[in-house]
Formats: sequence, C-alpha cells, structure tokens
Amino acid sequence: MNPPPETGRTTAQTRPTRPRVRPRTWIVAAAVVAYTVAAGRTVGFNPSTFWQVWSNPLWEKFWPIPWDWVLDRHNVIDPLIETFQIAIVSTVLGCGLALPVALAMSPLTSPNRVVLVVTRSIMNVVRAVPDLFWAKLLVTAVGIGAFAGSWALSVFSLAVMVKLFSEAVDGADPRPLEAARAAGGRHMPVVRTGVLPTVLPEYVAYGLYVFELNIRASLVLGLVGAGGIGRVVEAQRQYFRFDRVLGVLVIVFVVVFVIEQVSVAIRKRLV
Amino acid sequence: MMEAHPSDGDRPVAPRRAGRRWGLAALVVVAVVWSISGLEVTMDRLLSAPGDAWDVFRRMAPPAFSEAIDRGVPGKVLESVHIAWIGTMIGAVISLPLAFLAAGNVSPAWIRTPVRQLFNVIRAVPELILAVILIPITGLGSWAGALAIGIHSVGTLGKWATEAIEGVDPGPLEAVAATGGRWASSMRWGVLPQVLPVVTSQWLFRFEINVRASTVLGMIGAGGVGSELVSQLVFRNFAAVGAVLIMTIAVVMAIDTASAAVRQRIIRGGTRPGGPDADDIDRNAAVLADLTGLSTGGPSSGSRP
Repeated sequence: MNPPPETGRTTAQTRPTRPRVRPRTWIVAAAVVAYTVAAGRTVGFNPSTFWQVWSNPLWEKFWPIPWDWVLDRHNVIDPLIETFQIAIVSTVLGCGLALPVALAMSPLTSPNRVVLVVTRSIMNVVRAVPDLFWAKLLVTAVGIGAFAGSWALSVFSLAVMVKLFSEAVDGADPRPLEAARAAGGRHMPVVRTGVLPTVLPEYVAYGLYVFELNIRASLVLGLVGAGGIGRVVEAQRQYFRFDRVLGVLVIVFVVVFVIEQVSVAIRKRLV
Repeated sequence: MMEAHPSDGDRPVAPRRAGRRWGLAALVVVAVVWSISGLEVTMDRLLSAPGDAWDVFRRMAPPAFSEAIDRGVPGKVLESVHIAWIGTMIGAVISLPLAFLAAGNVSPAWIRTPVRQLFNVIRAVPELILAVILIPITGLGSWAGALAIGIHSVGTLGKWATEAIEGVDPGPLEAVAATGGRWASSMRWGVLPQVLPVVTSQWLFRFEINVRASTVLGMIGAGGVGSELVSQLVFRNFAAVGAVLIMTIAVVMAIDTASAAVRQRIIRGGTRPGGPDADDIDRNAAVLADLTGLSTGGPSSGSRP
C-alpha cells in the first residue's frame, strides 16, 4: 500500500487506531471495583436504604423548629459566642506558635538539619491526628469545657498553619536571605530581614483561612464535650429533641455560610 | 536601586502605614482578651494544663497493642477507611454530573446558578452535623457515617470539578460542535477526557480528607475507630488509647502517602519521556497545588509565587 498522500486527506485507512487498554489498567480497575464492593458491603451500602432514609417517619420529629427556644439568649447565643471565643484564642495561639516552627521546618531558614528533621516528623504525626481526637484527649486531660477545646484547636491550627506556611517559606525568594548572610548577619536577624517580609502577606492570608477552619471546627467541638455550641446539639440530641437540634443546626449553618463568604472576600483582596 | 547614591541622606523613607498596623494589632489583642475572659481561664488552670496533658500522654507510654488487637481495633480502623471510601464514591458519582451543570462554559445561567448554590449550601454543613441528623434516621453504624461523608463530599467535589471543567481548552469542544455533536457528546468527547485526570486526583484528595473525617465520625456513633477511642478514654485505659492512636495515625499517614503518590502519577504521568505538553502540566500543577495546599478552602485560598 502507498503511504498516505501529503494533502492531509483522511481516508478510512489513515485513521489512527484507537489506543489499546493495557492489561494493567484492567487489573487496577478491577481491584478498585472489587474494593468498592467489599467496602460497600461492610458499610451496609444498599441502594434501597436511600429510599428508607427518605421515607423514615422520624423526620417528623425534626419539625417544627421551636424558634422561641432557639432564639433565647441562654440556649444558643451564649454558646455561639463561646464558639467564636474558642476560635479566636486558638487561631492566635496556633498561628503565633506556627511562625517559629514553620521557619524551623523549611530548609531555607532552618538553623540546622537536626531541627529540621525533628520538627518535620513531629508535625507530620501531629497533623495525622484528627482535630476531634485532640479535643477528646484534652477533655480527658484538663476537664470538660471550652478550655480543653481551645487547647485542642490551638494544636490543630498549629499543625495546619505550619503545613501551609512552611510551604510558603520554601517557595520564598532566597536572594535577600543570601544578601543578609553575605553581609555577615547571624541566623535570627537574617531570617527576620531576609525572609519574613516576603512571606508575611501569605502568613496573614493563611491565618485568616485557619480562622475560618477553626470556626467550623469549634462548632462541632461540643459534640465531644469541648465547649461551644456543639454541646447544645449533643445535649438536645440525648433528650431526643430533634426539633431543637435542627433549630441549632440552622443557626450553625447560617454562621458557617456567612463566615465562608466573608473570608473568601477578604482573602481575595489580600492575595 | 541604592548603589547610585550610597550616602545616608538618600536612604528611602519607610512607608508610613504604621498607624494602621498598630490599629490591627490592638484589634487582635482586644479580641483575644475578650475571648479569654469568656473561657473560664484561671491562672491555676493555665499553668497546670500542660502538665495534665503531658500526664495523659505519658500514661499511654507502653501502648497496649495486644489488647487493642483483641478488641478488634485494626478492623475498626479499616472500617473507617471503608466508610471514607464509600463516602467518596457517593460524593464522586453525584457530584460529577452536577459539576457539568454548574460550569460556566458549558451550562446556561438558569441551571448553573441553582446548582452552584446547592454546592455552597452542602459545603456549609459539616459532616458531623450531617451525621447528627442522619443517625436517628439510619440508626447507629457505619452507613450513617458513609452517607454523611458522601453528602458533604458532593459540595467540595462539585466545586472543584466545576473549576476543572471551566479551565478546559475550548478547542475539542468546538471540534465536536463542528461535527454536529449534541451537548452530551461534546461533554463526553470534548470535556471529560480533559478533566478526568484532575477530577480523579480531586477524588483521591477528598478521600484523604474523608479518612480523617470518618475516624472522627465514630466518636458520635457513626461507625469506625472513633468509638473505640472514646470508650477507652472513658475507661481511662490510656495504654489502649495509645495503641488506638498509633494505629489510626499509621493508617492515616499511609493513605496520605499512597494517595499523594497516585495523584502525582495521575497528574504528572509516569517516567516516560515527553508527556503532555508544558501548558497542560502547568494548568494541572496549579490545580494540584491548590488541592494539596489546603483542605476545604478551595483554590481561591492559596497563592504560590
């Protein structure tokens, strides 16, 4: 057969063949499907449960929402304020601690390799513990209430902030640092004048983001006894007052929604 | 630049924004003081807290692995992973078609706006809150957790997938339109092949987040390892708590590492020479950077130089 002419004419013969699916792809796909089926069986997945969930008569227990109870100051507003207080304290504490830790964790600004490796591995472990695990552990340690919650969220924001901010430090321009070093600066002044000014806007932006995360997290802290509005949810849940639960959840939902919109708007201006 | 006038008198003046800075600092200080006043903090508690916390961790010291294994903790950890996986699958299956309806370049405004608002609304409800609502309906157990995670994942996955679809190259879309393809074919052949790698890595990333979420969900009775942690803490059996924690951390870290490696492989391709063109890599890398930098904030939150 002649080679295809140069005019770019496409005939049936010159049509490219479809790439063949490699056997390995089939094996991976089969493994994923098999795992999904197995996991679904363990979890109790059953398409009919979707219908059962919708048609469950218990939904009626959620309605109507007792608004006069929900809007009473002592029931919801005070715990909500406590939630904000937890979030503020732990954001400031966590982000404040994160500044030196993140600087110690980046190869650019770390005083030496030992510090770098040690802080990195510690922070990896800290981050692998979910936030409410910290809350539960600290509730056990220091007692039920917002105090434990603030500690837990501080640890959590430290972990998140260090991760985000140390990446910003990694990506910082190394030249001012070299200049400061060449001028004979010691470690601390070099980091302060060479790196810090260039990454400070990111620090503030991430701080706001962590604050947003903390507000969300502090809303549910109370479910494990660490203060805030979650403890109202937990208490009413145990009394089977699902209408009140739903009322509180509506408030929570509004708060999260508003905070997210505001935070996104602020961060858009900052970055 | 300074080298032309090295004398002291020519030194540039520092910008005068100090007033605003002090104002902001004062605001933060006032907020912190007000917050601390509401948290029942006394000097006594503050000073003894680190000691108390350290005490709890110290008592975990030889973790009781054999006891934990007898109680079936490894199975519980795996159950958490199963819950996260099924939740991610539910979220993925529901969110992908919806994302096509929400993307600005392929969907008309009258359907785009409500779908986007739906994503926003779902994203604003934390998994734990969903689980609190679902548990009385479905009963205690892992199905409540999987469903809660699945519903919550629809919000984030939908938003991310929408952004991926909005970033596609319009060329293939035009090509399908030029051959007379209908809307569905242009989605299938014009958009889906372009977004599938990014969307798959988004699913995997969401799976990582969901593993953490599902371990927590167990604490309120939605299946998985959380319930084990709570009950051991109630019994003050700290050695077992230590074992539960270590197993959870190990699984979470292992999944993070494995999933990050797979995502890297999906986005960057294998080691074969000359993969997708440079432009493509850049776009995908930007998406990946957004994903890996932040958990739920979405791409607007981070900026990489």
